[in-house]
Amino acid sequence: MSNLILGVGEFGASRTSGDIVKTFALGSCVAVILMCPKTRTVGMVHVALPESKINPEKVKTRPGYFADTGIPALMQQMAGMGCDPRGRGFIVKLAGGAKIMDPNNTFNIGKRNALAVKKILWKYALGPVAEDLGATYSRTVSVSVTTGEVVLSSPGRGEWKL
Amino acid sequence: MKQRASKEEILKAIEEVPLLSPSASRLLQITSQEDHDIKEVIDIVKCDASLTARVLKIVNSVAYGLAHEVTTIDRAVSYLGERMVAGIALGDSASALFHKELAGYEGPKSELWNHDLRTAIAAREIARFAKEPLSPDLAFTAGILHAVGKAVLSDFLGKTANEVLVGIDSHEVSDYLAGERDLLGIDHTEAGYVLAKNWELPESLQMAIRYHHRPDEAPEEYKLLVYAVHLGCIIAMMCGSQASDSLQYHLNKNYTEYFDLTSEQIASVMLEVNEAFDTLDSAMSDTKETSL
Repeated sequence: MSNLILGVGEFGASRTSGDIVKTFALGSCVAVILMCPKTRTVGMVHVALPESKINPEKVKTRPGYFADTGIPALMQQMAGMGCDPRGRGFIVKLAGGAKIMDPNNTFNIGKRNALAVKKILWKYALGPVAEDLGATYSRTVSVSVTTGEVVLSSPGRGEWKL
Repeated sequence: MKQRASKEEILKAIEEVPLLSPSASRLLQITSQEDHDIKEVIDIVKCDASLTARVLKIVNSVAYGLAHEVTTIDRAVSYLGERMVAGIALGDSASALFHKELAGYEGPKSELWNHDLRTAIAAREIARFAKEPLSPDLAFTAGILHAVGKAVLSDFLGKTANEVLVGIDSHEVSDYLAGERDLLGIDHTEAGYVLAKNWELPESLQMAIRYHHRPDEAPEEYKLLVYAVHLGCIIAMMCGSQASDSLQYHLNKNYTEYFDLTSEQIASVMLEVNEAFDTLDSAMSDTKETSL
């Protein structure tokens, strides 16, 4: 059993029973959690920004940074682990995309991230079965590969299941 | 919310915070002046053996990936930049404050330093979009220092994080600052300001610490800097923070009087914050242990 810790713009997947896939302190970033029941694989990408066109160079080193390149990159990795390459049958959960109090449109990157993630998922005919998006708190996300249980936590707010 | 400590107790605790080292204090003074000479910075570092060792160790760390070892302070300062050198001196001098566990905010060790470093990088980048000239070096240094008051308040807040958040969610208090004031009679911006005065920091830095969550109240001559730190702090929280007060402050929309910023530019600043943070934190972590 080990923890697969994902930093900003990182993605990864595990099908080892006992593993925990985890990412810390999502602010406006969004964690996209993909679960393949057939192979019992759990994948996650920590998306920081909506579109890669802002810095195509970054895509080469960290495709997970952007919604439009991070989700396909995770799909590809999971396909290499025996999952359907188009994500058929996947269970999707989303968390993050927080905002500051009283944001204007310029500062609401969290909302843009959440919309961009959903737009890319729609291309795969996927949508979240559960989501905890927006609001004004940071979130740490842990996913159990054994049970598929997704637990969110935030300092001062405790833990809750998604 | 029930008051847990008096303002007098907090002020007494601030008086007991150790002073900055003479090198750190002098570097902050010099780098906050617009017309200073880099030679002054180099001379201060050269006169401080432990700071010299730290600066050379950081510039030669793996994170900077230099092909040849840097052995002179002149080259090291020129390569790292003055703001980084001042930041190293400050980080060393007040290491215990910056790297302590922020228990009162349910934050882990080094959370304050991580947030401050992200704010510094963001404020430096935001300075590029100012409508009037603003020194990126000064914005960076102000960012490093802006939330230092939390290190003092954390010890008095105890397990109040949930209580403050419930108060904010139910609109009993308007933000985390108001929660701090209800509980302790003082908030972290005022506590930081008192500490900055004790440390005899330049007035520009004192103002950035005091007004970073209410920039419209800052004296006119410091508003540009204070707004840069205000926005830098917000961007740092958007990039992620493991403390209970993360995102629990208001954005002052009057920033548009001082900065031209689009959503894409904010995204670019966030990208730079994450990239530069990884490099700086990795470079400094090699030697962090020795200073704790």
